[in-house]
Amino acid sequence: MNFSKITRVAGREFASTAMTKGFIIGALVLPAVLAAIMPLVILLTMSAQPPADTGTVYILDRSADVSETLQERLAPDAVEARWKERFDDVKEFAKNAIPMGDDQKDQIDQRIDQASKTIRFPEFRVIPAGTDASIEELKSEMQDQVASGAKGKGDINTILAIIDIDVDSTRKANEEEGYGGFQVFLRPKLNDETVSEIKDGVRWSIRQRRYENAGIDRSQVLEISDVDERASQEITEEGEKKASTGITTFIIPVVSMILLLIASMTGGQYLLTTTIEEKSNRVVEVLLSACSPMELMTGKIIGQMCVGLSLLIVYSWLGIFALFFMERMDLIDWTTIVLIFVFFILAYFMFASLMAAIGSAVNDMREAQSLMTPVIMLMMLPYFFFTPVIRAPNSMLSTITSFIPPISPFIMIMRVASNDPPPVWQTGLVILVNSVAVVIFLWFAAKVFRVGLLMFGKPPNIRTLIKWVRMA
Amino acid sequence: MQGVRKTFGPKVAVEGIDLSIPEGSIYGFIGPNGAGKTTTIRMIMSILFPDRGELSVLGKKSAVESKDRIGYLPEERGIYKKMKVGSFLTHMGRLKGLDRAGLKPRVMEWLERVDLPDVYKKKCEELSKGMQQKVQFVASVLHDPDLIILDEPFSGLDPVNMRLLRSLIDDENKRGKTVIFSTHVMYQAEQNCDHVVMIHQGRKVLDDTLEDIRRRFDPRALHVDPIGGVAQADAVGQIPGVAHVTPVEGSLEVVLDEGIDPQQAMQSLLGAMPMNRVEIKRPTLEDVFIEIVTGGKRGADAAQLRAELLAGNTDDEEGES
Repeated sequence: MNFSKITRVAGREFASTAMTKGFIIGALVLPAVLAAIMPLVILLTMSAQPPADTGTVYILDRSADVSETLQERLAPDAVEARWKERFDDVKEFAKNAIPMGDDQKDQIDQRIDQASKTIRFPEFRVIPAGTDASIEELKSEMQDQVASGAKGKGDINTILAIIDIDVDSTRKANEEEGYGGFQVFLRPKLNDETVSEIKDGVRWSIRQRRYENAGIDRSQVLEISDVDERASQEITEEGEKKASTGITTFIIPVVSMILLLIASMTGGQYLLTTTIEEKSNRVVEVLLSACSPMELMTGKIIGQMCVGLSLLIVYSWLGIFALFFMERMDLIDWTTIVLIFVFFILAYFMFASLMAAIGSAVNDMREAQSLMTPVIMLMMLPYFFFTPVIRAPNSMLSTITSFIPPISPFIMIMRVASNDPPPVWQTGLVILVNSVAVVIFLWFAAKVFRVGLLMFGKPPNIRTLIKWVRMA
Repeated sequence: MQGVRKTFGPKVAVEGIDLSIPEGSIYGFIGPNGAGKTTTIRMIMSILFPDRGELSVLGKKSAVESKDRIGYLPEERGIYKKMKVGSFLTHMGRLKGLDRAGLKPRVMEWLERVDLPDVYKKKCEELSKGMQQKVQFVASVLHDPDLIILDEPFSGLDPVNMRLLRSLIDDENKRGKTVIFSTHVMYQAEQNCDHVVMIHQGRKVLDDTLEDIRRRFDPRALHVDPIGGVAQADAVGQIPGVAHVTPVEGSLEVVLDEGIDPQQAMQSLLGAMPMNRVEIKRPTLEDVFIEIVTGGKRGADAAQLRAELLAGNTDDEEGES
């Protein structure tokens, strides 16, 4: 093996793949652009909301008990106050859902405040129809209005809904039976928020009347049902630590795994393409006159490894930057990052071996597809395993699958990045097992590569491949 | 090469070839498509390895150790389509162990020699097929190899470029380089080689200098054009010393009996009837090849073989599976 020839081949391989406009745009610029336009997309979706509904709500209160409360509840001031309150809840949730620093939280506050100004909420004129009004008359009035094509938006005279409240909705008729309920007749195509505002209002008002009639203080009930829980802490070797929320325990392992998968798949895919290209271009024999098949394959694999590595480096830096701006650098575990790189090398070598073997065996991309299917399915396995593995990183299933190459590195990285990492000896053993597997994969690829490169004609199946391995 | 044999599955591609090529000579490998020329060359290049037999190249056990001293233009020549000509040649030169320093002027000089001075910055795919072929030739000789192996170097070239390539090969040979080239077009070998190796169905059937071959395969045949035309064939056949007569393209090919002196036969032919032309037929490599393969028999076998040889001018794949 001549090292300078290997470097030459690797250099060309890297340059012809990574130094192209297509690669730079596809792999690097595109994710950056996506990240940049994401807020814009969210803003657009928010501003694209339909105008709020405005109109009349009739109450046919047969109990003659709810109407007054409901009128207060659906009064414009009351509705507005509740919407404001809801925004505050969203703010609170957004801040706690994603791990972030105080600056970030302030920014989110401002964003939501801005958004709250632009969003309009429904406005109702509530008209009690009297206890003995005819529901049929009200319905036909609404139907006439709908048929005449009067607009639902903007006109306060538009009938949005008719609320029919049962006579026994707040007072039981007798002790054996339960409370009565209510029914709502709606104008078609109302906004969801309008409908839930109306229904929730009726429900709240009926409940309120029931409490009062039963002589129960509602605020007391609320007080009783509300149990406060402070953020849970974990007692670790270093002392108390904020318990990781579901999102952090889930996101970090999955992101690590996907990063690993993308980096090794990209390098491997390019290796397949360039090998097929060299073969179908017939440039391969020219190359073989200058270097041996092993030098060629080693050079190509190393060249594409650099492609995968550069992706990995760029993406992991993006991730670290993101966490830095969120002021959550404490989430970064440097051991995990180092292990991502170690596992990348192992996973990539196995995948690349398969790609080199397939690329050298076939004549064009179409023929490669049939041999690729099992490999792609193999690479998809980590996706199927990620829920059980993350839920129980040290279960029997997790442990066993993390020792089976070639999916082993992907499973192991999830376990390592989880909040319950496996013992160090397991990580060491997994690296050892995979290193052995890498040698076997490379040996197989080298045999197929040597024979396959100069074989043209009928595309081989697995059996022919095995024959070649014996032959070489 | 000694007793070299190579099989692909049940098919024997090359069987028991013994061959030694002296330094500084031009050797032509001839034979129809599928004869085993490319396989033999690939074994010399250590791209394939023989199943049996010994082989040494430039004094080394195999070409693996002396790849940088060999220039190889494969029959299946390829090029990186998207790469610029300059970068492709530089890449090949560096792969062949040349230093970066001085590489560019060397590439430029060679491009000028093959009459392609302006292509350095062009992409390979922008060149015509013939131009690409010349670029590939440059790639094979750029590193000043001691042994140049060219597999079907002339296929696809127009007559002008064919002549250019031939003179370049001659130049290299005059500088003491050993040249081996293969072709299925026999007359190309006649024009270029001083030594011919003929391969047929994986076996070496001929290995001699062109002169010796001509002498040895004197076909004892004459081309005869009687004034009466082809209709005189029977009459010509009656002349003593004539073994048999075949009409070929408007004239007659006359094969003489064993032991008859062609000069005397010409005299008696001229005496027998008025002639437009009587001449001794010079053996072409094609004739020699057919002679060897058919064992001297004439007729249908030979005609069929001749047709095959002509058909061989179209490129087809040297099957290996």
